[in-house]
Amino acid sequence: MDYTNQRPPQNYSQMDDQKTQDLEESVSETIMRDLKMIAYKLKYVLIPKEQEDNGKELRNWDLWGPLIFCLVLAMTLSFKAESTTTSTKSDVFAIIFVLIWVGAFIVTLNAQLLGGKVSFFQSVCLLGYCVFPINIEAIIIAFFGSYLPFLVKLIPVFLCFAWSAYSSVGFMASLVPPHKKKLAVYPVFLFYLFLSWFSLIV
Amino acid sequence: MQNYGSNNDLDEKGQVMTDQPKIKVKFEPKPKPSACPICTIEYYQKFFDIEQRDVYMRVRCSLLSWKPEFQQCVAKNPDLWGPLWISTTIIFILFAGGNLSRFLLEEDKKHFQYEYNYMYVAVFLVYAMAFVIPIILGFIMKYILKSELGVFDVVCMYGYSLSVYIFVLILCIIPYNEAQWFFLMSGLANSTIFLLVNLWDFMKKSKPTLMIAIPIIVFNVALILCFKFYFFRLIYAVDD
Repeated sequence: MDYTNQRPPQNYSQMDDQKTQDLEESVSETIMRDLKMIAYKLKYVLIPKEQEDNGKELRNWDLWGPLIFCLVLAMTLSFKAESTTTSTKSDVFAIIFVLIWVGAFIVTLNAQLLGGKVSFFQSVCLLGYCVFPINIEAIIIAFFGSYLPFLVKLIPVFLCFAWSAYSSVGFMASLVPPHKKKLAVYPVFLFYLFLSWFSLIV
Repeated sequence: MQNYGSNNDLDEKGQVMTDQPKIKVKFEPKPKPSACPICTIEYYQKFFDIEQRDVYMRVRCSLLSWKPEFQQCVAKNPDLWGPLWISTTIIFILFAGGNLSRFLLEEDKKHFQYEYNYMYVAVFLVYAMAFVIPIILGFIMKYILKSELGVFDVVCMYGYSLSVYIFVLILCIIPYNEAQWFFLMSGLANSTIFLLVNLWDFMKKSKPTLMIAIPIIVFNVALILCFKFYFFRLIYAVDD
């Protein structure tokens, strides 16, 4: 059976039972199950110690997690963006949203063009999950930024950027042949640098 | 066993086995000949067939612009990795650096307004310079002026010619007019000389081919004027 596009059934032995149960369970149960999957994958991606099976869990990719983190980041930054008119807030939202999805697309395309054989959505999923530390940093700066001097603000920004980059670099570097590793990793670094810079300045 | 993930297998300890021979996957369908070959990934993969070392050598060739060594460096293997990521880096530097330069000049730092338009203008300007103009020039050179250089050779050359601007634009953050002009002029000189020197073999053939130097110089000058007057313009406080 092809499991790559479906969640692995957790409590039920038969796929048919799974589908019937999906329809019968309450909305809150479905949502909680999805949220737990996202939290599990997040822990898996960001805490390298959890990766006992060497990255195979990533084959069950999903785009809900990346979408949630992208929206939270875009909303945090556009909420914080100072403006006399609404156009700057919507500018920021649009830039962040497009930057994340187009950026993840281009970084993945780059890895594929360099010869990496990877499922496209698997890589976009990973890059999306690794946006989570940037989210943390954006929220810290949004709430406490005005009280902190610039140099102190740089510390969480740098740490979260390093965390994002470190989590995704391992996966991206493993996709391509050894003499092309830096060529695959540099775009990832640039991508998170762009996002970190945004969360710092807004 | 179906292979969904990376082509580099992992052993028990989780280390990548790089000397693993490539296992032919039985389930991979044969790629169908596409109606639009230029739209497939396979067409562009040959432009990413370079190593880290190659990129370093090509950037070095472009920085030492007076030596006509670029075609030797490229060795009939033009790449698109360089042009793409050099231009994207420049976009980031323009956006971040341009705003930073304004910030350093601003007296009222607490109410500094970031100009997000810099992003749109930078994307348009840099990608036009790195891709649109060399593609048009390449077509003219190849199909009208009958050059041996392909369109992608010209794109590759243009992309690497922009690499000097990475350093120049970082230095342009310093908010002094004379310093900015100095850096931009040296960047212009380096970039234009690189293009002219490497196209000289082609240009010296005849008068029409020599004319190609004019649009090259014009577009480079226009580029640094845009850099100076849009991204790094210095707004002096007006005395009332």
